[in-house]
Amino acid sequence: MKSLLRFARAIDRLNELIGRGVSWLGLAAVLICAAAAIARYGMNIGSNAWLEIQWYLNAAVFLLVAAYALKRNDHVRIDAIAGRLPPRFLAWIDIVGGIVALLPTTLIIAWYSWPSLANSFHISEYSSDPGGLIRWPVRLLIPVSFTLLALQGVSEIIKRVGFLKGMVPASEFERREHAS
Amino acid sequence: MSLDLIAPLMFAGLVVFLMLGYPVAFSLAFTGLAFGLLGIELGMLQPALLQALPERVLGIMANSTLLAIPFFTLMGLILERSGMAEELLDTVGQLFGAIRGGVAYAVVFVGALLAATTGVVAASVLAMGLISLPVMMRYGYSNRLSSGVIAASGTLAQIIPPSLVLIVLADQMGTSVGDMYEGALFPGLGLAVLYAVWVLIVSIVKPEAAPACPPEMRTLHGAKLVGKVFTSMIPPLVLIFLVLGTIFIGVATPTEGGAMGASGALVMALAKRKLSWQLLRQAVESTATMTSFVMFILVGSTVFSLVFRGVNGDLWVERLLLHVPGGALGFLVVVNVMIFLLAFFLDYFEIAFIMVPLLTPVAQKLGIDLIWFGVLLAVNMQTSFLHPPFGFALFYLRSVAPKSVKTTDIYWGAIPFVCIQILMVATVIAFPRLVTSHVTAAETVKGTGAEELQRQMQEMQPGAPAAGKAPAAGDQKSDDATSEIERALKEEK
Repeated sequence: MKSLLRFARAIDRLNELIGRGVSWLGLAAVLICAAAAIARYGMNIGSNAWLEIQWYLNAAVFLLVAAYALKRNDHVRIDAIAGRLPPRFLAWIDIVGGIVALLPTTLIIAWYSWPSLANSFHISEYSSDPGGLIRWPVRLLIPVSFTLLALQGVSEIIKRVGFLKGMVPASEFERREHAS
Repeated sequence: MSLDLIAPLMFAGLVVFLMLGYPVAFSLAFTGLAFGLLGIELGMLQPALLQALPERVLGIMANSTLLAIPFFTLMGLILERSGMAEELLDTVGQLFGAIRGGVAYAVVFVGALLAATTGVVAASVLAMGLISLPVMMRYGYSNRLSSGVIAASGTLAQIIPPSLVLIVLADQMGTSVGDMYEGALFPGLGLAVLYAVWVLIVSIVKPEAAPACPPEMRTLHGAKLVGKVFTSMIPPLVLIFLVLGTIFIGVATPTEGGAMGASGALVMALAKRKLSWQLLRQAVESTATMTSFVMFILVGSTVFSLVFRGVNGDLWVERLLLHVPGGALGFLVVVNVMIFLLAFFLDYFEIAFIMVPLLTPVAQKLGIDLIWFGVLLAVNMQTSFLHPPFGFALFYLRSVAPKSVKTTDIYWGAIPFVCIQILMVATVIAFPRLVTSHVTAAETVKGTGAEELQRQMQEMQPGAPAAGKAPAAGDQKSDDATSEIERALKEEK
């Protein structure tokens, strides 16, 4: 169990590192979009590449941060009923949900995104708009994102089991308040 | 016969999973996938369905209107974390301090403004929840009133022009976006007024729920207050009006407006020397995680709806519709109830792309004015955002509200506003002229690209329920649809 927990913490660190780093791309998207808007309306210049890089960046942010958000327990839950249940029961829901729902779902989507990625890379697919960007880097984001999510799912399952065994405090996976 | 049961079962399964408290995004995706695999096993669906899933994710990634979500979230967070937004609402509190429920009115007002700037419910609710909720809690407003008024005002983005919903609906129905805007203006502003009236009623009946700003907090008077107004109110208001103005006169798209707004907020925070490294890092990280969970709810619901259509969920719905007695009125009532229920788990893009093409021909046959019908649907979809327990606006608010605000507070707080919404839906059904008389010139100018889009949508529709391949093709189209919408948006302005 101890080594499993070490494994879980390693996953946590990995996703925290990725999540925190990738977040900054969101700021880059904001600045690029604002600059592109000014350039387009002020100087009447612009290109599809500038427009596309914005959604590339934003896609990178929301896809690669998802695992970190899972670690922070930021994904929204409906706690109208669940909020009244004892913590041990909730830990069980997360364990069963993780094994039955999260892992298969993320792995299936990651798996089935490979063929179109490989194809896109093979034919070096470009955006259909003139001046658009090459496509495979964004397609690559999908399997990476869902694999990271699956990894984080494993970590969460291990931590919940650790909690049930009294080896992990509940604070380790409670949702942190945004207001902090 | 048993195959017909899959769609209802799927819906029931989702409800159970959600109520267990598993994250919404993964519950949606899992229910979709599980029933998708069942459908493949039973031969209802093609295995190609699974390959369509990553394409759907790509479609969400490439949706440029959704870009407005992180931009406006970042703007809201910077304004909030740097203390500027709080200062703003504080000053408004000082100004309207003597009035009971003053901050609540400010929220409705700011909500209508934000609605007009963002047109994105998630962004409005997140920004207002971050900015207003702490202030209202500090002033002693009841949690229910605060969360209700914030969620409701946030959803005004659905209906007040330049609402994205109206653009999508206009395109789907083949009507003009401009007419849709004109038709929606009265119901939208009417709702804002009704919200304020409700605040007034609460402040009279239950004064302790909507207190005036306590006297010891009203510290500024006279010249000092005027000075405060200039330093704390004018800059953010200028920012809001710049964002709003450029979007309204058509210089900027909502996405660009959001980026400019966020950049402007950064510049203002810098100028006020309130932008620390720590603050920026927190704002950027919170924006990223919030965007992530919002987008993943969309990813989940797209998986769900793809399969739901695949197992003939749409036919199930259509069949329910065909047995409606009562002609046009019966149809309207049933359609509204149905959209209301569907919107629990489908977002408005999904409804617009799945349901509206099914409903429009029937409405046309019954001689229903399409502008009226569209506005009606838009008001209705707004209601569904607010409806406990699955209203998306409530999820969003829950995610930014402090723990001391209970989920039940958010639910109970939303109910009066849901009633107001239903009242408005009923009013619009009863008095179509409220919508149609505001639409100038009966010679409806067809929205550019709308007919073409309509044709495309109808082309993809017949194949959709049977084959797993069709949704993939449909994706391609909805990609086009997004660019069409943007183009239409620009030309309308």
